[in-house]
Amino acid sequence: MARESNMAVPEFLRQAELLKQGAEARVYRAEFLGTPTIVKERFPKRYRHPALDEKLTHRRTVQEVRAILRCRRAGISAPVVYFVDYTCHCIFLEDIVGSSTVRDYIASAQQSDSCKELKLQRLAERVGQVLAKMHDEDVIHGDLTTSNMLLRPSPEGGESDLVLIDFGLSYISALPEDKGVDLYVLEKAFLSTHPNTEELFEKLLKSYTASSKKSSAVIKKLDEVRLRGRKRSMVG
Amino acid sequence: MHLTQKLELFPDHRVTQMLFKEVKNAAELKKSAMEGKINGALINPTMLVDPFQVLVAANKAVHLEKIEKMKTRTLYSEIIFNLSPTNNISEAFKRFGISDGDDSVLIVMVDSKDESQVVSDIAARVEGRQVPVEEISSLSDHAKIKKLYKVTPQEEKCGSLLDAVVCRMATKDVM
Ligand SMILES: Nc1ncnc2c1ncn2[C@@H]1O[C@H](COP(=O)(O)O)[C@@H](O)[C@H]1O
Repeated sequence: MARESNMAVPEFLRQAELLKQGAEARVYRAEFLGTPTIVKERFPKRYRHPALDEKLTHRRTVQEVRAILRCRRAGISAPVVYFVDYTCHCIFLEDIVGSSTVRDYIASAQQSDSCKELKLQRLAERVGQVLAKMHDEDVIHGDLTTSNMLLRPSPEGGESDLVLIDFGLSYISALPEDKGVDLYVLEKAFLSTHPNTEELFEKLLKSYTASSKKSSAVIKKLDEVRLRGRKRSMVG
Repeated sequence: MHLTQKLELFPDHRVTQMLFKEVKNAAELKKSAMEGKINGALINPTMLVDPFQVLVAANKAVHLEKIEKMKTRTLYSEIIFNLSPTNNISEAFKRFGISDGDDSVLIVMVDSKDESQVVSDIAARVEGRQVPVEEISSLSDHAKIKKLYKVTPQEEKCGSLLDAVVCRMATKDVM
């Protein structure tokens, strides 16, 4: 009985549009309860022991929804959670309709020339502020990239809203080290995705520093992690 | 005037919502529901922001029924329980179920087939005026809802009250 009914979500997903096939999860787009919805499905890892795999996958799913709620409570935009199926490890999330990734935004701004400097600086400042707020709530995102930040156009045509997504690797920690590593992951991703943006990223960090109450310890850790990263790459 | 939505995950389940104002026989309706004469959940609409909130609760109830993990005895009591931000069952009924003196009620039914028969049966039992379900927002008590769901002022800046409420309903089992 329970076994058969667990097929409801897999059946449903067969009709859905697959957006992304990742190493840990698939992301779909579908209509759910009459609303545009994103479904994130974690699937089993065959190389892991099934019982252990089940436990880890469950924990990741729980951590993801907890981080989303914690962010939203603090006023950081993240998709609304509509439904969680813990039997097949699926999270049903608000589809941020009409959004584009920060990655695409930066790439296209770099192409065009009309007031691009100003637009990009303003964006870097906003990202810095939002990440500062997130870290002040002790949420570590775990996978910060410019693809995991969406810009949602505001209905009034004002400044668009920055929405954080993909909290699949997130966890709660107050340690400056964890926050520093979070920023380091972003720095790596940022500079490799967007060439010649060292100054822009500096702007982001400056804004982070100015916004976070606890930034000095975090930036200190970031510097240490950078140094470690460099040493590691020197030895090969 | 009623609102029916198919549950995409459970295609043979349809959720129908009916809203009544100026209700005179809330006590009698409640009794009928408890005796199983009304097959539906009777909800106090002042605690609801939008019909979508009910769909979220109903979908979760059907899911939990299928996997045999309901916290309450019936699908309808489970819908009421799912609306609540806490895991306290009696509190959920007190806040979200109807009380004897209430003058408005939202009735929710989950059905597999055409709902027109049930809709007219229910309409015949309620001494009150049926209004479009969308009018629910004019009945909701935002101050009470914010307090019960502990919605922060910052949170309202990044989304609607409905967003905040739905998020808590969907995640309450792991908070
Ligand atoms: N909630 C969402 N709203 C809109 N698009 C999304 C959402 N979540 C993910 N996406 C899109 O799907 C891609 C992969 O998602 P993810 O694996 O969560 O990074 C993202 O880069 C977005 O383009």
